Amino acid sequence: MTFEMTLLVLILISGFYMAWSIGANDVANAMGTSVGSAALTLKQAVIIAAILEFSGAFFFGSHVSETIENGIIKSEVFSQTPILLVYGMLASLLATAAWLQLASYYGWPVSATHAIVGAVVGFGAIIGGIDAIYWGNVSQIVISWFISPLSGGLLAYLIFTFLRKKIFFAPDPIKAAQKITPPLVFMVLTTLSLIMIFHGLNNLELQLNPFETAGICFLISSAGYLISYWLVQRITLPGTPLISTARTNPETFIGLDKAKKHLNRVTLTCSGETHYQVLLLLGEIDRLSASLKKPEETHDTTTEYAVVENIFGYLQIMSACLMAFAHGANDVANAIGPLSASINVLRTGIVTSHTAVPAWALALGGFGIVVGLATWGWRVIETIGKKITELTPTRGFAAEFGAATTILVASRLGMPISTTHTLVGAVIGVGLARGIEALDLRMTRDIMLSWVVTIPISAAITVVFFYILQAIFGS
Amino acid sequence: MLTTILNLFGRSPFAPLESHMGKVANCVQMIPELFEALSKKDYDEVERITAKISELEHHADLTKNDIRNHLPKGLFLPIDRSHLLEILAIQDRIADAAEDVAILTTLKPLEMLPIFKNDFHEFLNKNLESFQSAQLIIKEMHDLLESSFGGIEAQKVKSMVDDVAFKEHEADLIQRKLLKNLFKTEDQMSYGSFSLWMRICEELGSISDLSENLANRVRMTLDLK
Repeated sequence: MTFEMTLLVLILISGFYMAWSIGANDVANAMGTSVGSAALTLKQAVIIAAILEFSGAFFFGSHVSETIENGIIKSEVFSQTPILLVYGMLASLLATAAWLQLASYYGWPVSATHAIVGAVVGFGAIIGGIDAIYWGNVSQIVISWFISPLSGGLLAYLIFTFLRKKIFFAPDPIKAAQKITPPLVFMVLTTLSLIMIFHGLNNLELQLNPFETAGICFLISSAGYLISYWLVQRITLPGTPLISTARTNPETFIGLDKAKKHLNRVTLTCSGETHYQVLLLLGEIDRLSASLKKPEETHDTTTEYAVVENIFGYLQIMSACLMAFAHGANDVANAIGPLSASINVLRTGIVTSHTAVPAWALALGGFGIVVGLATWGWRVIETIGKKITELTPTRGFAAEFGAATTILVASRLGMPISTTHTLVGAVIGVGLARGIEALDLRMTRDIMLSWVVTIPISAAITVVFFYILQAIFGS
Repeated sequence: MLTTILNLFGRSPFAPLESHMGKVANCVQMIPELFEALSKKDYDEVERITAKISELEHHADLTKNDIRNHLPKGLFLPIDRSHLLEILAIQDRIADAAEDVAILTTLKPLEMLPIFKNDFHEFLNKNLESFQSAQLIIKEMHDLLESSFGGIEAQKVKSMVDDVAFKEHEADLIQRKLLKNLFKTEDQMSYGSFSLWMRICEELGSISDLSENLANRVRMTLDLK
């Protein structure tokens, strides 16, 4: 009994530690951009992150956790010696934690998700044999690793291009922003409620038929529409009045019209080259009168853009909440997936193939994330927030929304992806839409290198830890 | 993982570009002082101002080199990298032109003859005006970045560019007048002085030419309909 208790304690501690390190390191990537663009203060960011990371983990984290728990290793392979599965999962947790510590010490951009998946696959393949892995699922997961940054980037690119056209290219950016924001909020909330409520929120035990689902989505979205409408109207417009340049003298237009009449008469008297030249002249006169007719309004665009950014501050808060929720949902699985697999075996003594992740495990994971955030993560958010000032709210909203939607869809599909790399893809998407002053793409080479390196290394370390555990605790 | 998002943002060259233009402006703005001293025949003051302009031009060069050294290949910018470097090069040439004008005035004690004095001052002012208009365009760069080089901001910059082009044209007209008057003095001056004045007018005229080039380069980065 005692050795099982020791194992249990070890598993709980490692699971908690993984969750803690997620809260300490990863959350900052999700929330740091909002602090950097001053859409949120540090305190607001930490509070929002704490509430939403936990909710994401608890209400939405089951899909991905189940994938890591059941979807990678065929548990039947271990039905004779279930204790080996426990060792393996525990070894995965420990190995990933160790590898992440090493990587963060050297500053390598390693993804926790890639590490844990690599660890579990490594353990399953090496100890259980090649057939012990659901290679179909694993290849789906790997494909999702490629797709998620691309999808985040594409979404962010589209959103920012849309914002560019509708707001920055509009004659009155502030009015355009005020007009666009409520429908944007409506669409955002609709998409998200649909993703989440439609068989998504398991732990709330909601049984809704499609009409009720649609009804709730509509209610939430309309509430968002009205609230954002009200908030946006409260934005005070800048005090500087529009200064228009002096209007052109009407005599100019009369003179130009006379010139056109004369030139038209000339076209009747000539032919060939001269005729062509006169037609060119007529075209020039038309262009000139058209440009003179448009009254030029020169006003202070700087304050205008500042107001637009203020309006988008609200939207960025919303997208930051989404990021926190999505991040909690996807990353809690890194800790809780292996944890629930091993605890299940310890509790029942047998290996079952499709167990749900217990609610208390998700709560433990969520709690670990919050503790990590509160003890260490806030410092990292502060650092990132101080250093990233390039992302204004419009850019931040586009990037975060693109990333958050991708992560939520992936979480709903049960795909464990790297939230950080998705966000990187999204930011690059905004940069490609000419939204960012200077984007250092040398980093992408490092990221791709880390993909290739992480999986074999975490697999190897896991196997080492497995043998150590087996030696200590016996078969 | 902490460093991932941070490392994604590179050092923006746009604020340093504006600051470089400011340093170039420092050089150019000393030219009226220079010719004030020259018309008063205060040749020591002329030397002093020239030394100052040289120093300021050197400071501008240091900024320029700093910008160039911090544009790694992997850095992705919202405008063509070559356009950015060209704008920087033109700004540098303006500073060089200002320095050349100053050095030319120190080669020999020159005298500003009354026949072309007024034209010269008019010419000088027009060149400075076109430079200042170009500097305003560079200052707009910050708003251009915000609106990602399009929309009404781009239209505004386009009209500023047209403004600079017109001022350059006016400068050309004044230059013709000035040179005609200068040639009328060919018997009153030694050949050396005459050729120096010719060179000075040339270099001075290049300031408005370069300002127009600069404005056009900026215009090429815009996303106009």
